[in-house]
Amino acid sequence: MKPSCSRRRLLGLLAGGAGWLASLPFARTAKAAVKNVFASAKTPDGYNPTKHHWLMCIDVDRCIGCGLCAEACKAENAVPQSSNYFRTWIERYIIKKPAPGVAALRGDVIVDSPNGGRNGFPPTLVPKAEILKAFFVPKLCNLCEHSPCAQACPVGATFDTPDGVVLVDPTYCIGCGFCIQACPYGCRFMNPDTHTAEKCTLCYHRITRGLQPACVEVCPTKARIFGDLKNPTEKDPLQEFIRHNKVFTLKPHLGTEPRVLYANIDKEVR
Amino acid sequence: MEADLNVLQWSAEVQAALPHVEGYAYPNETHVLWSVLIVIYPYITGLVAGAFIMASLVRVFNVRALAPVYRLALLTALAFLICAPLPLLLHIGHPERCLQVMMTPHLSSPMAMFGFVYAWYMMAVLLLELWLDYRHDFVVWGRTEPGLKGAFYRMLTLGANDISPKALDLDERMSVAVTIIGIPSAFLLHGYVGFIFGSIKANPWWGNVLMPVIFIFSAIVSGIALCVFIYTELSWFRRKDTCDACLDAMGKFLFFALLVDFSVEALDWLHRLYSADESIHVLKQLAAGKLFYTMLIGQLCLGTLIPLGLLGATQLFGAQIPNFVRRRIYYFSALLIMAGVLLMRWNVVIGGQLFSKSLRGFTTFKLELAGQEGWLVGLGLLVLPFLILTLLVRLFLPNEKDQPANTPTIAQLPQLAREGNGADDPAHERPSVAL
Amino acid sequence: MNRFGLPPQILRLVLLTALIVGTYAVARTLLTPATFGQYGHYRGAALEETASRKPLFAGAKACDECHSDVSEKATKGHKLISCESCHSASSAHVRNPDITTVKLTDNSCLRCHSSDPARPARHKQVTTIEHYPGDHCIECHLPHQPNKSP
Repeated sequence: MKPSCSRRRLLGLLAGGAGWLASLPFARTAKAAVKNVFASAKTPDGYNPTKHHWLMCIDVDRCIGCGLCAEACKAENAVPQSSNYFRTWIERYIIKKPAPGVAALRGDVIVDSPNGGRNGFPPTLVPKAEILKAFFVPKLCNLCEHSPCAQACPVGATFDTPDGVVLVDPTYCIGCGFCIQACPYGCRFMNPDTHTAEKCTLCYHRITRGLQPACVEVCPTKARIFGDLKNPTEKDPLQEFIRHNKVFTLKPHLGTEPRVLYANIDKEVR
Repeated sequence: MEADLNVLQWSAEVQAALPHVEGYAYPNETHVLWSVLIVIYPYITGLVAGAFIMASLVRVFNVRALAPVYRLALLTALAFLICAPLPLLLHIGHPERCLQVMMTPHLSSPMAMFGFVYAWYMMAVLLLELWLDYRHDFVVWGRTEPGLKGAFYRMLTLGANDISPKALDLDERMSVAVTIIGIPSAFLLHGYVGFIFGSIKANPWWGNVLMPVIFIFSAIVSGIALCVFIYTELSWFRRKDTCDACLDAMGKFLFFALLVDFSVEALDWLHRLYSADESIHVLKQLAAGKLFYTMLIGQLCLGTLIPLGLLGATQLFGAQIPNFVRRRIYYFSALLIMAGVLLMRWNVVIGGQLFSKSLRGFTTFKLELAGQEGWLVGLGLLVLPFLILTLLVRLFLPNEKDQPANTPTIAQLPQLAREGNGADDPAHERPSVAL
Repeated sequence: MNRFGLPPQILRLVLLTALIVGTYAVARTLLTPATFGQYGHYRGAALEETASRKPLFAGAKACDECHSDVSEKATKGHKLISCESCHSASSAHVRNPDITTVKLTDNSCLRCHSSDPARPARHKQVTTIEHYPGDHCIECHLPHQPNKSP
């Protein structure tokens, strides 16, 4: 057989294979589109994730450190009971007066979060006379515009949903822990029972049913402000919050652009 | 009073809750997530990359003195590469889902590239280079070895039995091409591991542009040290003399690689200390406290400065030091360097998780003995590549007892092949290669 | 030389590469989950699955169905507080009123009202050793309207 002819045949085979490979993504997109038409996502009450955009903001001045939010979160989401795992927790910042004779405005900063604050806070061991000021800061997933966790997930098991939540797919997570390392805010943990990453879902099962997240539901002082940016209500709490407060984000220098805004926060908060 | 009791209960509970945390750490950070297995993973891939780069010195840069360890270095790289994914598989929560990394890779994640980088390096670089290099021998051994072993070698030829000088010349040229592709691939393999850590901006100890560079150079250093170690050990097992020229050459490369590695890491620290961003206080405390023994004593003094001094002495006083002393210096330095690089991986991986991302405190890491993330598993993973290497050496590096003194080395082969080509001698047999 | 006119080594390598790439392509089509890529690089069905969890906290509206008299009272006192803040998660109670919610104690009050320097000054706080030690909160304060006495 002449080599030139067979070479052409081989090239043809290779080109065919390459064409088939190249057409795969399109075939898959088409398949997904067809599937979308016939089996649209069934969430509670025909919830459509593209019609909402949820957000929570925090007014630090209102937080009284009762810890009901952290406790409710653990119950609502069956978070492991151990004090190593929290989807939301509360930190207590105590800023001491400067030591006598030191020309400074403020002294040491003492931060604690006993058991994530879920049982409330014990009286601080710092004597009252040494305290310059103190406040509580609730922490949760910062819902970053550029989520480093979703960026880091190797398989697409954690992602930004169309309705503004960052979720973990527990049936798809391989449990590598890269997202946990990538989160600058310590908001993720490895669930010791399921061996998958876990985090605040903004109580996705509640907000899709028209309920508020558990932490927002139980907060006695409305320090957590929650709403839907795509469907603002009359006197929308989020719109009021942004109008009346000077707001900050945590660790802005990292460029994650958290969407969770904090009002009345101190520079010591990290 | 009830409330007073409440206070008492509190103090006990607070103290009992987190005894291993100093200062403040976010609650989710108090448990060290990436443990000894993730220390071993970059160590092993580093050894692979380093051993391959050592082998490429022979092939691409024509360093003839290193020819005796060419095949050994490649087999070492293969043995360690086979083990490289094991620590990851043992570590992840759902190893049964590992294929998802290949099926739906998330292109923005450096970790998603693991499957591809690994497969590329294994198939397109290391196995290909070994196959091209060994094809002639497989054909010969397939004819001479009896029974199953012969069948095994025949299978490895993949049916390509042409060992005419022309075919061997093609092998040779392809092999050089593969090695040239292999060098950036080895850099990619290990630079990528460094990037996994370097890309995490959340962690100031890791998130650093120099991280991939540091990983690559420490990999080269550890790979060469591993080759020195294995070559010395293998010669001892086979009751053969080591080739002094070869050891001297390895010692030279080891010294310069270590010097570069040391400079890059020193630059990293210098830059951290000088630019002194908000994390510097916690990092200084980390280095002087939790990492004092593993970093300052282990990695810096034992793993870097002492070998630098010893190897530096051999460079300065080369011929004045008796051969047997030099051999021992190389061997001893290699051991120290390998331990030092392992400690460097420890300091990066464990050290990076010991301080809180709130930069306000530290947690403690305790290595368990048994268990999936324990001492024993880690040790097993470090020993396993050596067992695989033993098997590979038995299969592919036969002990040639009565070797002629003037056996041509691999670096001379291209010439020989070309000469043979010109002579057009069908009976031309490729000379066997010294260990 | 074979019929493709390639040296045997190269032919073997080409075939092997084709085999590997082909296997990968087939595996990828078979192993990619159905809803992957519906919204982005993830399983679209994960949204539904996450949403399908049953809520534990029923929400203040559900309490209002039966206990509107109590919520009416609370509008004049603890008006910001949702029922379940103190009475704990109640969806089980909503489904079956025989299942009662937790009993409240002094600690339920002190959790918010014991004094702490980190609490805003405007928030009502007491130090239990100074503020009527030995008495229970509800002896003087109505829980739903704490500014009123029983």
